[in-house]
Amino acid sequence: MTILKSKQTQHPASFRDPSGFLFTRKGLLYRQVNQKYAEEYALLMESGIYESLSKAGRLVAHQEVDIAPIQPEKAFKVLQPERLPFISYPYEWSFSQLKSAALTTLAIQKRALNAGMSLKDASAYNIQFHQGKAMLIDTLSFEFYKEGEPWVAYKQFCQHFLAPLALMAKKDIRLSQLLRVYIDGIPLDLASDLLPKSTKLNAGLMMHIHLHAKAQSKYANEDIQEEKTKKEISKDALLSMIESLRNTIKKLEWNPAGTEWGNYYEITNYSDTAFLHKKELISDWVAEKEPNEVWDLGGNNGVFSRLASEQDVFTVSFDIDPAAVEQNYRQVKEAKETNLLPLVLDLTNPSPALGWHNNERESFTERAPVDMVFALALIHHLAISNNVPLQQLADFFSDMGKWLIIEFVPKSDSQVKKLLQSRKDIFDEYTLEDFERVFESRFTIQKKVKINEAERHLYLMKKR
Amino acid sequence: MHYSPALYLDPGSGSILIQLTVAALLGAGLFIRTQWTKIKQMLGKDVPEANEEENIDDDFEE
Repeated sequence: MTILKSKQTQHPASFRDPSGFLFTRKGLLYRQVNQKYAEEYALLMESGIYESLSKAGRLVAHQEVDIAPIQPEKAFKVLQPERLPFISYPYEWSFSQLKSAALTTLAIQKRALNAGMSLKDASAYNIQFHQGKAMLIDTLSFEFYKEGEPWVAYKQFCQHFLAPLALMAKKDIRLSQLLRVYIDGIPLDLASDLLPKSTKLNAGLMMHIHLHAKAQSKYANEDIQEEKTKKEISKDALLSMIESLRNTIKKLEWNPAGTEWGNYYEITNYSDTAFLHKKELISDWVAEKEPNEVWDLGGNNGVFSRLASEQDVFTVSFDIDPAAVEQNYRQVKEAKETNLLPLVLDLTNPSPALGWHNNERESFTERAPVDMVFALALIHHLAISNNVPLQQLADFFSDMGKWLIIEFVPKSDSQVKKLLQSRKDIFDEYTLEDFERVFESRFTIQKKVKINEAERHLYLMKKR
Repeated sequence: MHYSPALYLDPGSGSILIQLTVAALLGAGLFIRTQWTKIKQMLGKDVPEANEEENIDDDFEE
């Protein structure tokens, strides 16, 4: 028994819903469905909801498997869901990613209602991006719909999706980071306070955020059983409410402009020759090492990430700039790319472990290592703008992956000169020789090529 | 009417009440629109039928 226990664990974020939970056994992911969910599961599978949604790539596909459940006294079935290569979180998504996740949730709810079911939660954490599409990953989110009842997840939907989207579109794109602080979504009174007054003229935001927040504070401690029993919400009215949320969200827009790196590749100091040479080297090295997953750190709008994803390598492209990530995601959507996941991440303060017991949402580094990491035109930002010593950079990158494609940008480079323009040069150790010496403590340098018409060198390194 | 007793999320009293209000408003709007359509149809105007089953990918994205 102890041996069995040591090889299986309940997923640390899967404990709220009594319908079942996720667990891993011998490295494989399973979902135990409990007896109390048996009838709802049957309707989900028989009503056609599961089939049409999973076929459209909007609900995680699963297989019923014949293995021992982890809590046999409660168990009804064990499912094996399709495993996703990477789990991302709403505070790592660009505006349009959160918007896609919101619209997907509403579209699923609409389909569920028409088939006699309803989403009992509307958590942004139940959505993942898989093969370029937003997808619901919680098979147990569907409950029976009883005509007349309101949507129990309405408050959660507004907190997880509508409030952050409205704040990002109408106030400041950086407010998406409030989702890091408020794990169950942005409190509506806070959203209502932060939003510009003009949003009260927007009927959708007025109803679903401002009045919603007022009603919450007014009825916070009241028993509303009496009012509830007097009124019902017809299915048509509920569908109109879903439609109203959808229209409100569809009208929210954010267009990247004037941020840090949005037009980086137009102002870069690379000549066409150097740019092409760099691309060619990266493509060749990816083809040679055949990694099964790449993380492009500081990936901007994904121009180099695509050198890997276009070779059928699943690639996550991280960047600090929400505008670059937005551009990248729009490109993924437009070209229906299936191997590329753009995400917002500040490497100098990456996503921490969050939630109950610090265990519900993994930190950035807990999701490492991967096969191959790109650090292109990145090291000078970390070493000079953020004062990270070379040894710490080498330690960090060696924790991230097995292979490293890294570009060294010397002090003589115009981009580095710009960084040093307004500050004292305290970086005696920032030389090509020191870089190689320090990184060799963690890696073996397998290739080193000077990029044509540039001051920069590109390296392929393997972790020791 | 009755509510499922085993809710695992707290839907929030205020959130339920605002839903009742919003749904009533939107429901009234919907009622007026459908009646209006009926009146127009009675007057012999050609009103296009709403397409019930839309393409599955249409409303997932923009």
